[in-house]
Amino acid sequence: MSSSLIQLKNVSMKFGGVTALSDVSFDVKEKEILGLIGPNGAGKTTVFNVITGVYQITSGEIIFEGKSLSGIKRYEITRRGVARTFQSIRLWGDMTALENVITATDTHKKSGLVLGLFGFPVSRREEKRDKARAQELLDFVGIGEYSDRLAKNLPYGVQRRLEIARAMGAEPKLLLLDEPAAGFNPAEKVDLAATIRKIRDAGYTVLLIEHDMSLVMKVSDRVVVLDFGQKIADDSPGKVQDDPRVIEAYLGVPENAS
Amino acid sequence: MINLRDKGAEIWENQGRVGRVVLALCGVTVVASLPFLGGTILNTPIADYESVLVYPIAMFVLMAIGLNIVIGKSGLLDLGYVAFFAIGAYTMGLLGTKTGLNTWEILPIGIAMAMFSGIILGIPALKLRGDYLAIITLGFGEIVRIVALNLGALGRSEGILNIPTPPAIFGIEYTFDSHRIYYWTLLVLILLAIWMVRRLSARRAGRAWESIRQDEDAAELLGVPTFRYKIWAFVLGASVGGAAGVFYASKTLFIAPDNFTLQISILILACVVFGGMGNIWGVILGAVILGYLPDRIRFISDARLLVFGLVLVIMMNLRPDGLLPRKKREKTIDKKDAT
Ligand SMILES: Nc1ncnc2c1ncn2[C@@H]1O[C@H](COP(=O)(O)OP(=O)(O)OP(=O)(O)O)[C@@H](O)[C@H]1O
Ligand SMILES: [Mg+2]
Repeated sequence: MSSSLIQLKNVSMKFGGVTALSDVSFDVKEKEILGLIGPNGAGKTTVFNVITGVYQITSGEIIFEGKSLSGIKRYEITRRGVARTFQSIRLWGDMTALENVITATDTHKKSGLVLGLFGFPVSRREEKRDKARAQELLDFVGIGEYSDRLAKNLPYGVQRRLEIARAMGAEPKLLLLDEPAAGFNPAEKVDLAATIRKIRDAGYTVLLIEHDMSLVMKVSDRVVVLDFGQKIADDSPGKVQDDPRVIEAYLGVPENAS
Repeated sequence: MINLRDKGAEIWENQGRVGRVVLALCGVTVVASLPFLGGTILNTPIADYESVLVYPIAMFVLMAIGLNIVIGKSGLLDLGYVAFFAIGAYTMGLLGTKTGLNTWEILPIGIAMAMFSGIILGIPALKLRGDYLAIITLGFGEIVRIVALNLGALGRSEGILNIPTPPAIFGIEYTFDSHRIYYWTLLVLILLAIWMVRRLSARRAGRAWESIRQDEDAAELLGVPTFRYKIWAFVLGASVGGAAGVFYASKTLFIAPDNFTLQISILILACVVFGGMGNIWGVILGAVILGYLPDRIRFISDARLLVFGLVLVIMMNLRPDGLLPRKKREKTIDKKDAT
C-alpha cells in the first residue's frame, strides 16, 4: 500500500447553522485518482475549499505530506503542492491561455520583481523556460493551438481544460478537479477521462469531483461518497456502486426501509 | 471608431530592433522639441506656454504613470495618491531649506520616503478591498495634508518658502524661469518611469497584477502572493509620485498644503480613466489632454472641474475603457467567436 499524500481527520465545517462537513475523514494516496461524489449540496466543493484554505475548518485536521495545513496562507498551500480548478470557471479572462498558465507557474519561481525589472539573465532565462513549460501543459491537455487566445473568448470546453492546465502550472502534487466534465457531451467526457488518466500517469495525484457516475467509476481507483456533509462510503468503484447507503443517498429512501 | 492602440502596436511590433530604436528616438525628439513650438497654434493664452508644459502637463503625465501602476495594473482604487506627491515635495522643501543637500541628493530620499509611506499605508489598507480601500486611501491623502497644515516644522498654512532650485548638472543651469530645462528633466524621469512599467508589465509582476485585478481569489489560490504584489504596486506607484513631488517643490520654490488637495488625486485619476486605465500610452495621452486643455481654452480653465466631470461622464458612456484601452488584442484573431 502506498502512503497517504493528504489526510482529512475528523474534519467539520460549519457555516453558522449549516453543517457543510461533519466529521469527515479520508485520505488520498500518492499517484491515486480518488473520486469524490455525492448529491448536490453534499459538501464536495467545501472539501476543496477547506483543503485549499478558502475556509478555516471548524474542527479536525488536514495533513498534507505529514504536515498540518491549518493556518497556512492560501498561496503557501499552493506552493506546498496543492492546486485546484473551479466548479464555476474562474480564469483570468483578459489574459491569453498561455499567460493564464504562466501566471500559475510563477508560483515556484525565484527571481522576483527587482530581478525582472533590471532584466537579469536569471529572470530572462526563467521567463523563456516558463513559456515553454506552459505551452507544454496546454499541449498536454489538448488545447495547445489556443495559446494566444484570450481566455474569455475560448469555447467552453477549452476553458474547462485550460482550468486544468493552469492548475497543473502551479506544479502541484495533488490536483483537485471540481467537476471538470460539467457540461460536456459523452464524446468529450471520454476524452477527458483519458486526459485525467494521463495526468495521473505523469505522476500527479488526483482528487476528482464529478457528477457523471460512469466517468467517475471508470477513472477512479477509489471513490469516497458524501451525503449531507457526512462520509457514507469509501471503497473501490465496484463496491461503492452496490452499497445500499449510496444507492439510498442517490435514489432517496427505499420504501421498505424502517 | 478606429482602433488607435492596435494600429500603434502593429506598427511597433512589425519593426525590427533598428526600426524600434529609430521610432523611439523620433518620438522622443518630437516630444523634446515641444518647448520650441510656443509661437504656434499650440500656444496657451492663459499661462506661459513653457511653464504649462512643465506643470501641469509633464507633471501630470509622470503622476498618471505612477497612479496607473496602482489603479490600472493592479485594480486598486487609490483616491489619495496626492499624499505621495506631497511627501516628496515636503521632503524636498524641508531638507532643501534646512540642510545643505541639493535636489539631486534629495530626490532618492524623497522617493524612499514616499515608498516607505506606501508600505505604512499599504499594510493595513491592502487587506481591504474595493470601496473600503478607496475610502482609507482617501483619508490618507487628507491626513497628510492636514498634518502639513498643523505641523510647525512644515510651516503650517504658510508652507515652505525659498526652496532651492536644482544645482547645475552637466553644465546645465536651472534658474527659476528656465522652464524648458525643467521640462527636459521631467522628460527623463517620465522615460525612466515608462521603462520601469513596461519592463515589469511584460514579466512576472505584470502577470501577477493582472491576475489580481481580474480575480484576486483565484490568483491567491493559484499561488500568487497577492498581498506582496499589491504592496509592490502601491510602493512603485508611490515612488513615482514622490519623485514628481521632489521635482515640483524644486521648481515652484514654494509649497503649501493648498497645493496638495484631494482635487489633485481626482485630477490624476481622471487622466488615468480618461486616457485608458492599464495602458501606459493611453494614460499619458489622457494626462497631456487634461493637463493642456484648461490652459489652451479659457472656458475650460474657468470651469475646470465641471468640464472634467462632464468629459468623464460622456467618456464612461461612449468609451468606458478610455481613449486607448488596455490590451485586448489576440495574435490570431478569430472574429467568429470573439465576444
Ligand atoms: N460559504 C458558505 N456559506 C454558507 N453555506 C455554505 C457555504 N459554502 C457552502 N455552503 C453550504 O454547504 C453545503 C455544501 O456545499 P458544497 O458547495 O460543498 O456542495 P457540493 O457537494 O459541491 O454541491 P454541488 O454538487 O451542487 O456542487 C451546501 O448546503 C451549501 O449551501
Ligand atoms: Mg460543488
